[in-house]
Amino acid sequence: MSGTTVLATEGTERPSQVTARDLARATATRTRRSAHVKLWAGAVCTALVVVPVALANLLPLPGANAQDLSRRRLPPLSEGHLLGTDQLGRDLLSRILHGGQVSLSVGVLAVLVSGLIGIAAGAAAGFFGGWIDAVVSRFLEAQLALPLLMMLLLVVALFGPSVTVITCVIAVAQWPEVARLTRSLVLVEREKPYVAAARVLGLRAWQVLLRHVIPNVVRPASLVVLLLLAQAVLLESALSFLGAGPQRPFATWGRIISDGQAYITTSWWLVTLPGLVIALLVVGVNLLGDGLRDRTRRRKGAGA
Amino acid sequence: MTPPPQSAFTEYESPSRRTLLRGFALGGAGLALGPLTACAGPTGAPGPGTLTLGLNRSLVSLDNKLNQFDAAITVQRAVRQALTRIGPRMKVQRVLADRFEMTEPTAWTVRLREGVHYSDGSPVTVEDVATALRMYAKVNGSFILGLFPELPTVEPTGERTFRLRTERPVPVLDRLMANIHITPAAANRPEELQSGVGSGPYRVVKANSGAGEYTLARNTRYWGPRPHVDTVRVRFVPEEASRVIALRSGELDVVDTLTPDSAEQLTGLPGVTVQETSGVRICQLFFNFRKPEGHPLADPRVRRALTYAIDGDSLIRDVLTDSADQAEGVVPLALEGAVRTGSYTYDPAKAKSLLKSLGADDLRIKIIWESGEFAADSSVMEAVVDMFQDIGVRARLQQFQPGGDILKWRQGRGGDWDVIGNGFPGTTGQALTSLQGMYGGTAAKERTRDTYMGYVIPRIERQLSDAATEVDATERNKKLAAVQHAIWDTWPSLWAFAPKTLLAHRDRVHDLGLLTLGSYDLSPVRLEG
Repeated sequence: MSGTTVLATEGTERPSQVTARDLARATATRTRRSAHVKLWAGAVCTALVVVPVALANLLPLPGANAQDLSRRRLPPLSEGHLLGTDQLGRDLLSRILHGGQVSLSVGVLAVLVSGLIGIAAGAAAGFFGGWIDAVVSRFLEAQLALPLLMMLLLVVALFGPSVTVITCVIAVAQWPEVARLTRSLVLVEREKPYVAAARVLGLRAWQVLLRHVIPNVVRPASLVVLLLLAQAVLLESALSFLGAGPQRPFATWGRIISDGQAYITTSWWLVTLPGLVIALLVVGVNLLGDGLRDRTRRRKGAGA
Repeated sequence: MTPPPQSAFTEYESPSRRTLLRGFALGGAGLALGPLTACAGPTGAPGPGTLTLGLNRSLVSLDNKLNQFDAAITVQRAVRQALTRIGPRMKVQRVLADRFEMTEPTAWTVRLREGVHYSDGSPVTVEDVATALRMYAKVNGSFILGLFPELPTVEPTGERTFRLRTERPVPVLDRLMANIHITPAAANRPEELQSGVGSGPYRVVKANSGAGEYTLARNTRYWGPRPHVDTVRVRFVPEEASRVIALRSGELDVVDTLTPDSAEQLTGLPGVTVQETSGVRICQLFFNFRKPEGHPLADPRVRRALTYAIDGDSLIRDVLTDSADQAEGVVPLALEGAVRTGSYTYDPAKAKSLLKSLGADDLRIKIIWESGEFAADSSVMEAVVDMFQDIGVRARLQQFQPGGDILKWRQGRGGDWDVIGNGFPGTTGQALTSLQGMYGGTAAKERTRDTYMGYVIPRIERQLSDAATEVDATERNKKLAAVQHAIWDTWPSLWAFAPKTLLAHRDRVHDLGLLTLGSYDLSPVRLEG
């Protein structure tokens, strides 16, 4: 029986056309492997950025705003400056890491707030239906129809560019994504027998929602929140780049790039290196989120 | 049934769905990315008869009542003209007037050039001049008004002749009138005009004042020599790097008010020429003179102490890369009548001890400025914050984007601030007019917030007024020198410098004569190729 693989199962040999190579190339195997790779690659990329940013104050680095005008625009690997210096002789690595603290804090706070708003509004809309659903759905559709960056710039122009305003603005801008997903997940959950059982036991609607439904949807919803983190960091950088970020001399990633672009032909590192850091973080967080989502789906599938 | 051998099976295997999808994806990517190769060459290059200017500030109007900076003067005067202009070597040239003479100490006799008319063919009249002066007088917040010790009145004496009468002598009126644009009387309003015709070599065919973009076409009815270029496009490109790249790629023909770093990038490039002229504009970190009595900044000794914190040499050498001169007077020394009054000294220890002795060692300073006010503005401001930190003064910055409400803040109507980054142009080439504009504030002007950052010192104003009305040039210069020393002693600026004007153009642009004022005349400019 040349060309036929013999698969051994529980002591019996069974001929099969499916080879080990086929199994390795099967969609399920590939998905599992890719989820694994994504998870690890994402975790490594994210950690490469987040860990140094979190430890910026502990690392032996010059101050982010400490200037030395006689040492302006030194290239990477210069003495005492791993990533070189900027147009005012400030250490670029220190500015990137301290800037990352601002950008990441804004991002994390914004996604936490948007996650809370989105899960609350989406769950209420999905579970109660009726006019609550209509109001929430129309509201989020209206917001999704608005050009996001324009809206953010408008609000920042009205209330002034501070960390609090920018955080709130990004948080409010991102809640529709979470709300839409939560609403659809709750729509599925509320038809399940355990919800009916809870009602029969005499629990009030909001108790059922809070105690039983939300815990079941919070995990997939929180994965979307993780994906939104990358978007929030990008939005904050875009706002800073356009001059609507926190006031100077706060270092933020967008501003470092914006200031550096005037020197792009003579000092490439001022734009390229912070750009790479943003890209690394965004790719990392997206891969991590994707990987986690794939793993959750697989487990759910296996559980079913 | 024995299955066929694997090798035979694969030999006749048709392409799988995945292989097909991969093939389609590759093909699609190729088709999508193919056109991107076209991006390798210059794009959006202007036509052979079109000159494209890239401005770093938004030109909100082709009228100058509230809005006048170097490149703006170039464009505004291509459309609207004045009776005179400041030409090469800061000499006064007659434009709409062919006679402009002081015939009495308080009267100038003016004659309009024969045949001067607007782009619609209607003639320039004496009434247009009188209306223009009335409109400039009514507009609120105009710095042009501040240049005049008093606005003259028009006394018509004939169809083309009139007298400009003032109450007191204004010996530089011919220079001052270079700032008053003449527009048909019926269309003139006490505001920045967004439309209307002018008598200049170009007329507006398309305007988007919000975006700061204009298209000018040659005025076929122009009364003077025919301009060489058919069309002039004016674009607002706020990002310095974008302007440099656009010039290199040929998308822009001229970019002005370059930062020293950009000039360094462009110098020596084939096809690009960089021009430089010593500046008549003074850029200052000016103190807020609207502080109440008792506020530390209302005390000139505190203002002086703060100036010791600024390392001007370092700012000029490292941040402005020697493209500016540190101020040694209250106006740029390139202006006629300007004198050296002192210099800024860097001595942080002295600053600290002086502030302590004056009881102002816990100062907090708020610095405001508009992006693009001068080259490398953000870097200068951030460097100043660091220098303040060294003497224990906490400074914070508030940057306004172009088109924001800096004017309101400057007038003290937007909020409180301590130091403003501001540039003041020397539009007449005379120190006197700049001094009048900045330091000639009176209580009456302050009521309408028409003073320069609230600078109202009656003693200085009287001295200035006295110098401004002095007809004898030698005596006037003597009085001017004395008042400049007196102004310096009030320590109006934390630091000041006179930037050189840097402009770059493509080599196909010829006869572009950059004036000391920082602008240039568009009509002699030629294009080749």
